[in-house]
Amino acid sequence: MSNQLNLPQPKLYRSVIEDVINEVRELFLDEGVDEQVLMELKTLWENKLMQSKAVEGFNTEEQAALQAAAQQQAQQAQQATQQAQTQQVLLPPQQQAPQQQVIVQDPKILQHMSATGMNAATTAATLALPTGISPYQQLITSQGQILQVLRAANGTQYIIQPQQQMVLQQQVLPQMQPGGGQAPVIQQVLAPLQGGLPQQTGVIIQPQQVILTGNNVQQNAQVQGGAAPGGPQQQQQIQQQVQQVQQVQGGAAPGVPQQQQQPPMMLQVDGAGDTSSEDEDEEEEYDEEEDEEKEKDGEDGQVEEEPLNSEDDVSDEEDQELFDTENVVVCQYDKIHRSKNKWKFHLKDGIMNLNGRDYVFSKAIGDAEW
Amino acid sequence: MAYQLYRNTTLGNSLQESLDELIQTQQITPQLALQVLLQFDKAINTALANRVRNRVNFKGSLNTYRFCDNVWTFVLNDVEFREVTDLVKVDKVKIVLPHSSTTE
Repeated sequence: MSNQLNLPQPKLYRSVIEDVINEVRELFLDEGVDEQVLMELKTLWENKLMQSKAVEGFNTEEQAALQAAAQQQAQQAQQATQQAQTQQVLLPPQQQAPQQQVIVQDPKILQHMSATGMNAATTAATLALPTGISPYQQLITSQGQILQVLRAANGTQYIIQPQQQMVLQQQVLPQMQPGGGQAPVIQQVLAPLQGGLPQQTGVIIQPQQVILTGNNVQQNAQVQGGAAPGGPQQQQQIQQQVQQVQQVQGGAAPGVPQQQQQPPMMLQVDGAGDTSSEDEDEEEEYDEEEDEEKEKDGEDGQVEEEPLNSEDDVSDEEDQELFDTENVVVCQYDKIHRSKNKWKFHLKDGIMNLNGRDYVFSKAIGDAEW
Repeated sequence: MAYQLYRNTTLGNSLQESLDELIQTQQITPQLALQVLLQFDKAINTALANRVRNRVNFKGSLNTYRFCDNVWTFVLNDVEFREVTDLVKVDKVKIVLPHSSTTE
């Protein structure tokens, strides 16, 4: 019975559940509520308990059912909105401020994109699909990095790179979709980012700018290729990845309309214009300095905001984490005693949740110093 | 009336959530849900008093203490919960306890 410490939880909880359910059965019947609802309540209750992992597994039947359901859901999720989900799923792990923002947009874009009939690349282990045909490319690295090149119907592309040194050769769709003059060109620039760009969360590049790669087509993923022709800024950003992307967005907007009209005017990062190269250098240096911050102050208003938001997010997460792991003990006390700053607790009948797990006790004695 | 103290536990919260879901789907009335919770309070109090028979010792440092409306709330840091077989260490723990009218 040494295991009685923690293991009785399931039995205890289960017995409690049974008692409660039985007692409320009458209530349910009085109300005229179907027994079915009662069973549903029980099932929901037990499922939540299982999910909380605070207690060990419940009825095996339910467990099996739950697992099956979970699998089904997982499958459906994958099939249905693979892109969206993958992005969403991937997003959380990245937890990078800029990415988060980007991500939010992405799902929308994704949906948009799917509407356009683009085939999203399935999560591929860090390889850009060379599908030059598919306008939409989505790369998800097994490492959890997400590379997504989204082409929005509006011609705004977002490219998100989880940024890690991954040599991704992306394919650029050189085509400009005649569909709507949108900047279909999507280049995925995820490359390991020259200069070891800090792990900046995805880089967003507006599609139009991306076009430039279209002409060059099949340029190396290394940032340069990805840079949108729209402007040297964009290209630079791609290299730097996160920060650049942001910039591009800012700069791409105005430049987008222009580029659409003139697809051939793709600016090439690769030694095309001196300014671009200069910018790149500056940006690279800048990025390196800011690596983790991912924001270039002064480059774009958006960029500035993102870091702020990211900071908020981080703090929020921390708070949440702290709160989640806050261990709570609810019990009753027999006696609480204090001598100067020495406290003695005589507790009883308590339920504890420590480190996420549940414990129960009939008596507890404790000492603490204030 | 039994303490509603245990509603904020894993067991209690999951029950409340389940009830809320049923209310949203309008399978039960809020009134009924309240009745269920009251039943839960009784059941959990009884179960804890009768079904649990183990003892825990703990030791730590007190960060804050509060006694308001006959309810104690302590926040302890770096606490060790010691049972017969194992030991659980936590950085921070909150203890909530209403005064027990019956002392055993």
